[in-house]
Amino acid sequence: MDNMTPEQKAFLAKKKAKAAARRGKEEEEGELGMTSLMDIVSIIVVYLLKSYASDPVVINPTAGQKIPMSKADASLQDGMPIFVTLRGITFMDKKVVTMNADGEVDKAQVENHLIGPLFDAMAEEVDKAKAMAERQNREWEGRLILVGDERLKFSTLVDVMYTAGRAEFVQYAFCVIRKG
Amino acid sequence: MARKKKGADEAEVKANMLPVMNIMFLLIPALLMAMEFASMAAINVSPPKFAAAADQKKQEDKKEEKPLDLKVFIMTDGYRVTASGQQEGADAGKSADSNRPTIGLAKPGSELDDYERYDYDALEAKAKEYKGLFPNDVTVKISAEPDIPMQVLIGTMDALAGTTCKIGKYYKGEDPPEDCYFWQPIVEAGAG
Repeated sequence: MDNMTPEQKAFLAKKKAKAAARRGKEEEEGELGMTSLMDIVSIIVVYLLKSYASDPVVINPTAGQKIPMSKADASLQDGMPIFVTLRGITFMDKKVVTMNADGEVDKAQVENHLIGPLFDAMAEEVDKAKAMAERQNREWEGRLILVGDERLKFSTLVDVMYTAGRAEFVQYAFCVIRKG
Repeated sequence: MARKKKGADEAEVKANMLPVMNIMFLLIPALLMAMEFASMAAINVSPPKFAAAADQKKQEDKKEEKPLDLKVFIMTDGYRVTASGQQEGADAGKSADSNRPTIGLAKPGSELDDYERYDYDALEAKAKEYKGLFPNDVTVKISAEPDIPMQVLIGTMDALAGTTCKIGKYYKGEDPPEDCYFWQPIVEAGAG
């Protein structure tokens, strides 16, 4: 206290006086304005709900996957998605095939274009989907949404399509990212 | 006589917004996780056996019009275009010439992972030319060498359909737009 300048001493005295005056009064309850916050949050929720409901299929690419770009504008229709990347093939959230270092299916797993583990997984899901469609009295459309990678080799793509054909898929759609 | 105001004694009731806010704040991350950050589209591809049936139906409508049977083979050095069984640019007297592409590369000498190395504009011009001759044809058979990347295949499909083609309208029940050329691709294996 002794080292303080007269200005600092005056400031501390004023601060003490103010604190003493505040202690004499009843403290006011502070209120948070919720209306503006509610407005903002409601707008965000409505926007997100709208973007969620616009497409029947939500495609979440796997890590490191680069979906090809295209000028196509047809929207995705409901179907079973298959993710084919340079790391592996994921079908119905299960990784059924692991690719080799060249980003291709291991030759031991392919026989005359048919990818064995993928065919087993597809056949099982097709049976389930058919049974469900039959119970609901509707026709099974057999649509496959192929979510590939821009670097994926044509030979791998053909093997996947051939396997899907053997598993009784009849409609194919390449999933792409819209350009522009 | 002084009249007592109707709601004067009524206490002000404030709605408790905190539970609503809690739900709203939980909804935001849930919806963000389910949200699409890039706009997705689809290119419908026909497998060969089903395309044949579609062709038959079209042919009935066209009253025995000779089909174009357009085929595009993507090679590492360009496109080989074949129509009605005749490769364009083949040597005289030959139906096909496997050594030479019909449309060469736009960027010769570039790496295979350079997706702009192909001459998409020339292919689109060729598709437009064929469409003028066969206005009812919409299918094209596309094949490629084994190492061709998927992006090149998609770029080729875009060029053959026409870069200004908005075929989404057709799937919503409208007629195919006039600026759409060959928008129904059939992917074939080893059809070089």
